[in-house]
Amino acid sequence: MISKTLMKQTIKSNIALWIILTGIQAFMVFGVASAGTNLQQTALAYYNMLPGLISAIYVIITGNKLLAQQVDKGTMAYVLSTPVKRSKVTATQGLFFLGSLLLMFAVAAAAHCIAHYIGSGSITAADIGHVALLNLGLFCLNAAFSGICFLASAVFNLSKYAIAVGGGIVGAQILMSIMGMFGSSFRWMRSFTLVTLFDINSVLANSGDFIWKFIVLAAVGAVCYTIGSVAFAKRDLPL
Amino acid sequence: MNDIINLQGLTKDFGQKRGIFDVKLQIRQGEVFGLVGINGSGKSTIMRHLMGFLHPDKGRASIAGKDCWKSAAGIKRKVGYIPGEIAFPDVRSGLDFLRLQAEYMGVRSMTYANELIEQLNLDPTAKLKRMSKGMKQKTAIVNAFMCDSDILLLDEPTTGLDPLMQKSFTEIIRQEKKKGKTIFMSSHMFDEMESTCDRVAFLKDGHIVHVVDMKTILGNEQSKEYKIEFNNAEDYRAILARPFDFLRKQDEYNQVVIRVLDTDINKLFGVLSTTDVRFISHKPYTLEACFKEIYSKTETA
Repeated sequence: MISKTLMKQTIKSNIALWIILTGIQAFMVFGVASAGTNLQQTALAYYNMLPGLISAIYVIITGNKLLAQQVDKGTMAYVLSTPVKRSKVTATQGLFFLGSLLLMFAVAAAAHCIAHYIGSGSITAADIGHVALLNLGLFCLNAAFSGICFLASAVFNLSKYAIAVGGGIVGAQILMSIMGMFGSSFRWMRSFTLVTLFDINSVLANSGDFIWKFIVLAAVGAVCYTIGSVAFAKRDLPL
Repeated sequence: MNDIINLQGLTKDFGQKRGIFDVKLQIRQGEVFGLVGINGSGKSTIMRHLMGFLHPDKGRASIAGKDCWKSAAGIKRKVGYIPGEIAFPDVRSGLDFLRLQAEYMGVRSMTYANELIEQLNLDPTAKLKRMSKGMKQKTAIVNAFMCDSDILLLDEPTTGLDPLMQKSFTEIIRQEKKKGKTIFMSSHMFDEMESTCDRVAFLKDGHIVHVVDMKTILGNEQSKEYKIEFNNAEDYRAILARPFDFLRKQDEYNQVVIRVLDTDINKLFGVLSTTDVRFISHKPYTLEACFKEIYSKTETA
């Protein structure tokens, strides 16, 4: 269902940004977690704000590069002048997008666990479980965000529109979640952002609430990826 | 069913009279078919339909019996393409690009690619970003031909090439034609089309206004034009009295342009043998002349 050649090409042209942002994220979580405080506190301090911002940069830039930019520049013509179907193109690009995000948070989770172990001298299975779940949650959130950017990238011919719409929505979502933290007059904003579904408290309190929330996030992603792929296969391409 | 490329009433309306309208063309296997028209007349739009990038509003485009939209990917196994606008993917050198495309096409051997590279005098190790327009175009040409595809869709393949390279390109086209390839190319270079094409279609405002068979022009036409100048005015006036088809009369030079059917050529010589002729020259009917004549005459809806 995917094109190996395109996958290699996509990895080559997106790996640099991935390495830089994954590195920064791992470095930050390492710094926060190695202080030796308990996992609950570091988790609340760290997962509430920072990783969403860094992965959002990756999601917005890469989302545009995967489809819209190649249509805009015209380089997509060369891929589509070979026997590679459009549906294969979207499957390959989507798989790369999700796979690279999964790996990004796997690295962050590993960095978190190692840092915690170094900082406090030990780590419990429950701690590892929490870290894994928190990063899984971040992945689900980013699956939704990347889906939105992927959809925008699939339907627009011009990079600028893909970035404005995809990046605009993702940026607004994150901004609302941050604003929501600034006192009760902005609290309502939290009801309008997907970030709220990344329920850190529920994970840390071992309540089952986060499960359906994560599933909703993943579902939003799945719907966006599907619509994007279908739209890309059916529309006119100005190549 | 010798028609390998078939356009049946292909219509794509972009609004404001832009687009292509009811385009009907049948291109036979082994034929070199040209498409000319001014900028914005719809040449690339036709190519994009054949490549399956655009979905027609009405009508249908097919290659080897397969629908160009529905079977877009499958058709590409048989098709080599040069896009109207060259924008290479994010790879380092020309060779990297050619290898990448060969991999997509599932072609292992680069033997033919290397032959073409030599023929076009291309340095494939040059970085894509530093390449001149001509070098990029050459790289795109090699890419289209290297997989030995049966059908070639070339959208203005010689833009940016110097005259010498245009000759090499013409040579490649002839070479491919000998192998039995079907070639559909758009261009505004008339001489290039004259020396390669079997038939040429004129496209105006998205309509096919005329299809010329190259057999009927370039000295192959049944009636030819001759420019004749006389040494004295009496002979000049004498010829004017004869029932020939005069296209142009220039009293100050004692010069006429006459159109004569090949079957009547001896009548002309019979008359000329009694007169004092300074010179006679044959004016071949070129594709360009034909184009200008038809283009200005036709009104499109």
